[in-house]
Amino acid sequence: MALKTSAPRKGVAGRANGADGLDAIPLRYGDDPYVWACWLYYEDGMTQGEIAEAMGVSRATVNSYLAEAREKGIVNISIEPARLASLTIAQELKRHFGLADCLVVPNDDDTRPLIGRLGAAGAQALSKMIKSGDTLAVAWGRTILSVGEHLQTGPLQDVTVVQATGGTTASFAYTPELTAAAVARAISARCVSITAPAIVGSAQMHDMLLAEPLIREQFETLARANRVVFGIASLRPNSTIHTSGFFETVPLQHYLAKGAAGVLAGRFIDERGRPVAGPLDDRTIGISLDMLRDIPTRIAIAGGFDKVPALLAALRGGYVNVLVTDAATGAGILRADGVTSLDGKLSQRQRSVPVANSYRTHVKKFLNNPNDVVEEMLDGLIAAHRPYIETVGTSRRALVARNGPRPGKVGLVIGGGTGHEPCFVGYVGKGLADAVALGNIFSSPPPDPIVKCAVAASGGAGVLFVYGNYAGDVMNFEMAAELAEEQGIPIRTVLTTDDIASSPVEDKEGRRGVAGNFFVFKIAGAACDRGLTLDECEAITRKANDRTYTVGVALESCSMPQTRRHNFEIGPDDMELGMGIHGEPGVSRERLRTADEIVDAIMDNIFKEMKAEAGDKVAVLVNSFGATPLMELYILYRRVEQRLAAKNIEIEANWVGHYCTSLDMVGASISILHLDRQLTELLYHPCRTAILTIDGRETNGAARG
Amino acid sequence: MSETAARTLARMFERMSEVIEAEKDHLSELDGAIGDGDHGITMSIGFKAVTTALAGMNLETASPSDVMSTAASGFLDAVGASTGPLYATGFRRAAQALAGRDMLDLPACRDMLTAISEGIRDRGKAQRGDKTMLDVWLPAAEAATVAVASNLPRPAFWKAVETAAENGAAATATMIATKGRAARLRERSLGHADPGAVSAAALIKAIASLQP
Repeated sequence: MALKTSAPRKGVAGRANGADGLDAIPLRYGDDPYVWACWLYYEDGMTQGEIAEAMGVSRATVNSYLAEAREKGIVNISIEPARLASLTIAQELKRHFGLADCLVVPNDDDTRPLIGRLGAAGAQALSKMIKSGDTLAVAWGRTILSVGEHLQTGPLQDVTVVQATGGTTASFAYTPELTAAAVARAISARCVSITAPAIVGSAQMHDMLLAEPLIREQFETLARANRVVFGIASLRPNSTIHTSGFFETVPLQHYLAKGAAGVLAGRFIDERGRPVAGPLDDRTIGISLDMLRDIPTRIAIAGGFDKVPALLAALRGGYVNVLVTDAATGAGILRADGVTSLDGKLSQRQRSVPVANSYRTHVKKFLNNPNDVVEEMLDGLIAAHRPYIETVGTSRRALVARNGPRPGKVGLVIGGGTGHEPCFVGYVGKGLADAVALGNIFSSPPPDPIVKCAVAASGGAGVLFVYGNYAGDVMNFEMAAELAEEQGIPIRTVLTTDDIASSPVEDKEGRRGVAGNFFVFKIAGAACDRGLTLDECEAITRKANDRTYTVGVALESCSMPQTRRHNFEIGPDDMELGMGIHGEPGVSRERLRTADEIVDAIMDNIFKEMKAEAGDKVAVLVNSFGATPLMELYILYRRVEQRLAAKNIEIEANWVGHYCTSLDMVGASISILHLDRQLTELLYHPCRTAILTIDGRETNGAARG
Repeated sequence: MSETAARTLARMFERMSEVIEAEKDHLSELDGAIGDGDHGITMSIGFKAVTTALAGMNLETASPSDVMSTAASGFLDAVGASTGPLYATGFRRAAQALAGRDMLDLPACRDMLTAISEGIRDRGKAQRGDKTMLDVWLPAAEAATVAVASNLPRPAFWKAVETAAENGAAATATMIATKGRAARLRERSLGHADPGAVSAAALIKAIASLQP
């Protein structure tokens, strides 16, 4: 509304009366009556009659200006895409599963935890449905407790809230008792508890308790429920079901083995929603699946992608007729059930922009036979770096440092797939890694070359394996470790897990290893070269890994030499925050932002975890994923330095360049090693490799900050 | 049946290699949706290597256990990645399960399927429902156990195993990956069958077609 001031409005009307009035258009609209009409209508909020007066034209003319402006694309009506998407998903869920109602919260607000947002939405849904005189059954759970915390209703009378299951002794805040009480309090309802444990020791005890008049009466209330609100739990390893103490572990394993996909109010169902029989069935005091399905209004509130199979099972089984979830989960449920029309609907509405360069189908590369790239690269690489490395026997997949291994020194073996050059082979040499095992592009090497490396690196003091945390690498290196130990070589392993975007902090061990490998390898190599014991080398390497934090951002995907096509697509105006080094997705797909904003997002993530105080020292690595030039890396480094300086954190050393790439991916990562005295000393320990040479405090490729 | 059990097993691996070759592009395509797009290539390299390794054996004198352990090393040395250790461990366990046997009767087939699935489970530390090849091998092995227990004749035994495998592979489309690279895709893996599960079902179908 800022531009409103000079609009001529009614003053013009008199003058323009009877004429066509176009000379009265203010200059800032050019000579376009369409733009002027639209401005007055959409921005100034005038009616068509007022505009006609202001422009000195008829009301019908204004009407046609406005209509044509839409057609000409002068005016675009836009609805915030995230909100539109969630509406589409809700409609689709309703249609596909024949739900009475469905509420989908958008995923555009990541500042609040999902549980809270679902709770607020669930409260909204519940407040619309609950009426005076209702009996509402309430199951236990974090999400449902959150509903209770958000719930507000108008004045209701004679509402009864009844606990859907017996109680627990667990110490968490969302027990059946507390959850039902919170909901009852919010709507000033009478609260009926089930005064028995949710799970009792035996079937006989169950029958005896249910025969008690008090408990029988409570169950009669439960049987009268005309609405029920419940969460849905998954059985996935990270589900709260395992940690809640609600169930014993052994029976849970039983249900899991029999194909249980989800839990509703303490009852287990398989992927089609059928009950799964198990040892707890006769010992559970609470609503049965049949009772649940007979309740007219069945409101399920659950979200998070890990719950998709459980939610789908509940929907298939008909246990839900009002669903409250989030957009990502809702879309996941539809996709899992084979609904493909959704993608079309979502993209249709977000009117697709033609992709520039879409005429080009293949990425250009320097190639001979694409199937020979790894072998040919190794030929060149071994020749180029002859001063530092040689093959172990005839295998080019196992390379050892010249003058690296020596008696009495712990050997350091690193390795992984190719396609990350100069990682891993560039870090093999005196003072750093002793040997490297290489696989195919983005694929772990098999155990055989790893064992060869272990033998070549062994100086009788044991061998340390350090590699990125990926399923394939873990299995092959583990098998190799078993084989090497059979040959009398003690092996220790440290997995690198520096990519803080790949898993939340609670699942630190599940994170993948990315460019921060550079720091972890360096510290491990120095510890080994100083003649420390295998125990000490392992502990120091672990510490270096724990104190290394990396976040990557990709702007364009990489392409394999065999396909020469992008492995996946990132939209023309998008970027992927948290990208891994094989193109694994990260935290979020977002609109491309300025370099400083991107660095800020990365550094904010790192600061959340790194407990650095003013005066602390760090080492910084700004790494290209392959195609991003140094010019842009320096722009990123500039902002990294500013952010650290603002916290009085000193950059002890830095590296800017190609240190761990992903073929030709466009993008970069920022790694920070939070130094302490020991790590600083080891960082400066001399080493000589193809990519990194450090000679005391003088370093090549690196600068003092 | 004049053919030795070792020769039957070798033919079984040949048939598996043929099926993988035929399905190669389809498997890579499936993998492209949720992984790095090379599953078909990896499996093809692995089973070709197995066929080559078995070609060097004297199948008249070799035991079924020898065939399995040769297949295991052949596969592993050629592949690496994650498929290599999984199948190699499965085949190695099968070699142990078949040790001392010279007949490939239905109980032996049951033990072979069970050993393969347990080897894969132990190496990959996956559970049922994790959207992996285990969602095919475990139900197939269970179906074999039930079939032997209920004295099903040979064709019905293999029909039951094959059906369990196919259902298992189809069910992976509704699961979310927790293992391997697809695990990083979270909910984006939904609606896609797991390529490792689909190739496992193809392998079992190949075995079943021989009716060993």
